[in-house]
Amino acid sequence: MNRSFVLFACIFLLLPTVPVLAGESPQEARHESMENVGGAAKKIGKMMKGETEFDAAVANASLNVWAESAATFGNLFPEGSETGHDTEAKATIWTDRAGFDEQLALFAEKADAAVAANPQDLDALKAAAGPVFKVCKSCHESYRLDD
Amino acid sequence: MTRRLLLGIIVILLVPWVLTRPNTIDPGRLPAADPDLANGELLFHAGGCASCHGEDLAGGHEMHTPFGIFRVPNISPDPGAGIGAWSTLDLANAMLRGVSPSGEHYYPAFPYTSYARMEPADVLDLKAWLDTFEPRATVVGDHEVGFPWNIRRGIGLWKKRYLSDEPVIADAGLSDIALRGRYLVEAVGHCGECHTPRDRFGGPDDSEWLAGGPNPDGEGKVPNITPHEDGLAAWSEADIAYYLESGFTPDYDTAGGSMVEVQENFAQLPGSDLAAVAAYLKAVPAKSGSAR
Repeated sequence: MNRSFVLFACIFLLLPTVPVLAGESPQEARHESMENVGGAAKKIGKMMKGETEFDAAVANASLNVWAESAATFGNLFPEGSETGHDTEAKATIWTDRAGFDEQLALFAEKADAAVAANPQDLDALKAAAGPVFKVCKSCHESYRLDD
Repeated sequence: MTRRLLLGIIVILLVPWVLTRPNTIDPGRLPAADPDLANGELLFHAGGCASCHGEDLAGGHEMHTPFGIFRVPNISPDPGAGIGAWSTLDLANAMLRGVSPSGEHYYPAFPYTSYARMEPADVLDLKAWLDTFEPRATVVGDHEVGFPWNIRRGIGLWKKRYLSDEPVIADAGLSDIALRGRYLVEAVGHCGECHTPRDRFGGPDDSEWLAGGPNPDGEGKVPNITPHEDGLAAWSEADIAYYLESGFTPDYDTAGGSMVEVQENFAQLPGSDLAAVAAYLKAVPAKSGSAR
């Protein structure tokens, strides 16, 4: 098969993914990321509150969602994405980037530690998830607009 | 004829004088018992005293309102700058009647329309807790309020309309636990001060009790916390209690703005009190809050 055809085919096949990537604004992408984080928090929270039975697989999958989001979340706040798309990001993210980065680093650190802890019972889950919840709260207080 | 005219003038002057007179509480309503310090501390957190007056109670925080700038006073036990020289009766008159030790009306930026529903015995306990703080000598400046609001005597008329120790939601239909919640929400926690819309005289509109309103701090809205679908309809009592304890909504969003401090204060109350607040909030009439 002609090499240039293969190259062409590859580009042609990949082409549709480009507009999809370009079509999602950072504002929407970070909103979606936080929705995932919130969804995972809900599953973990229900177990911690005793509303659902502890399930190690669900718990650890949810902790993984946290760690995955934490790894990339900070990339979704480029200059120029301060407003628009009903973003709830506070201007302080860009005026105090160092403080925001510190919170992001904490989020990643605590989420990774929770995954590494691999909790197998409710008490272990509480111990692993608690520090992450704390970061959610403190970061929202400084860097997210009130409703 | 002259005598009747004179009498008329006296009546015209006397009526507003009487109507605006500061009312103090009957000293007999204060129990002679020893104060309960633990209860005083609980009330201190539920009332969020430190959120306005500061962690050290030295005051100084400025409240910018449509009526002017109010400066939060020093309530530390300093005898000069604070309230160290006050008796328990003085504090009871301040909190339950909005009247200073010298007999002047306070502005209702101090939420005495809510505290008016408190038990005098609780003021005794709270006073004892306030007395455990370090005295602070910080002297706080005067309020900056324009005419006619700068005539304090006029607040007496306002009080005639808005100051009452009657609960907003009647006893009927409230469980014992919801009654405790009512006390924490309506009286001590003064939740209605922000969560109930105000009418054009700046008094709470009880027909829209807890249905939310504009944010007194500026931007945005204060949420509806009645069981309406625009409010807490989707929240269980456990959700409400958990929110007050942790700061997380059922969707794992977090408290924002001034509510952060309120939530952190409430987190210091026993779980039974948080459950009581939840029971009460699910028992109040659902209101849309859109009437205003």
